[in-house]
Amino acid sequence: MAGDPYADLGLTRSASEAEIKKAYRKIAKTDHPDLNPDPAATQRFKAASAAYDLLKDPEQRRRFDAGEIDEQGHERPQRRYYRDHAEAAGNPYAQNYGFEGDPDLSDVFSDLFGRRAAGGFGQGFRQEGGREFHMRGQDYRFALEVDFMTAARGGKTRISLPEGGDLEVTIPRGVRDGQTIRLKGKGGAGMGQGGPGDAYLTVSVAPHPDFRREGDDIFLTLPITLDEAVLGAKVAAPTVDGPVNLTIPRGATTGQKLRLRGRGINGGDQQVELKIVMPPKVDGDLAKFMEGWRKSHGYDPRRGMTI
Amino acid sequence: MSRYYTETEVIAMVEELTRPRLRRYCRARIVQPVTTPDGPGFREADLARLQLLCDLADCHNLPEDGLRMVMSLIDQLNTARGDMRALMQAVAAEPDEVRIRIHRSIRGRRG
Repeated sequence: MAGDPYADLGLTRSASEAEIKKAYRKIAKTDHPDLNPDPAATQRFKAASAAYDLLKDPEQRRRFDAGEIDEQGHERPQRRYYRDHAEAAGNPYAQNYGFEGDPDLSDVFSDLFGRRAAGGFGQGFRQEGGREFHMRGQDYRFALEVDFMTAARGGKTRISLPEGGDLEVTIPRGVRDGQTIRLKGKGGAGMGQGGPGDAYLTVSVAPHPDFRREGDDIFLTLPITLDEAVLGAKVAAPTVDGPVNLTIPRGATTGQKLRLRGRGINGGDQQVELKIVMPPKVDGDLAKFMEGWRKSHGYDPRRGMTI
Repeated sequence: MSRYYTETEVIAMVEELTRPRLRRYCRARIVQPVTTPDGPGFREADLARLQLLCDLADCHNLPEDGLRMVMSLIDQLNTARGDMRALMQAVAAEPDEVRIRIHRSIRGRRG
């Protein structure tokens, strides 16, 4: 078979060195052109001796088996990998990949990598060697703890800077736990013509004893009295923007949820979960009434529970 | 917090998506929903990915093989971009002397 020196010797890849020699000698004996005038024999002999030349040397055989050289002993042409070129500096096809227009990182990016012309690699940066050094200033990163109400309503606070002085920070309404506030140009000073860095404040919102927040919705558990629950009532319910009148329906019960639309943050809702609270002391009047009442109105809220 | 969408919900939400098409993308593992007791569960990211897949397939007439390759490249690029973003943010917050060293080193290699 053309291209397979093992086949030319009637062998397979697993043949030993001795087998290769033996196979070659056998073909040489029968098919040598000086001994056998048949042209087919000459072909067989030529192929076998080429194969033997290649395989008799263990190192050459190893390289052939590994695909480093072909059956004629020629180095195989190296496969080209575009990545080798594509990753290299100055690749003519280099492209932007999204940081040039990034509101936060475009300066950092061009500082480190220069500017690329759209659709290809530009001149990059020529100046180097200490003269005319431009670099953007350091970004400062701070952790900022904000109380629940300030986060919900927005507000102002002051932070002190590492290089002295302080800075007024506007907390946007509805800032979330973990959100980052960027103060453009409030980082360290730049070098040369480099602009100042930015300050980034990572906000952590402290919990509130009564309010809980999920996204823009606020959750509140509202205690109500026994009589409010029985008879219904209008009560003032706290919201992040101050108290709001809430109608408790007659016969309200613990765990019942009422929604105050638009009373959350930035258009979110506030959900109020009612909780009936007993009077501090059960007096004679109440006890006496209940004793009479339960005789004729007993009910079992635990019916259906598996106990 | 993260919820999963069912096949039917996904088909209703992504305009050009049909059930056979969704199944094809899943079979080809271009989209890999999570396995839930109620069948495949699609995340928000899967929804966005399916929208992009439909756009790519329709606007560029991409067959499935081509689509898979393009998505692989997009995924690689975005992963690299995310890593790069984290790296740049970290570098930008380093003090001047560190940044000058990094700056020079990068320009030496890339300039």
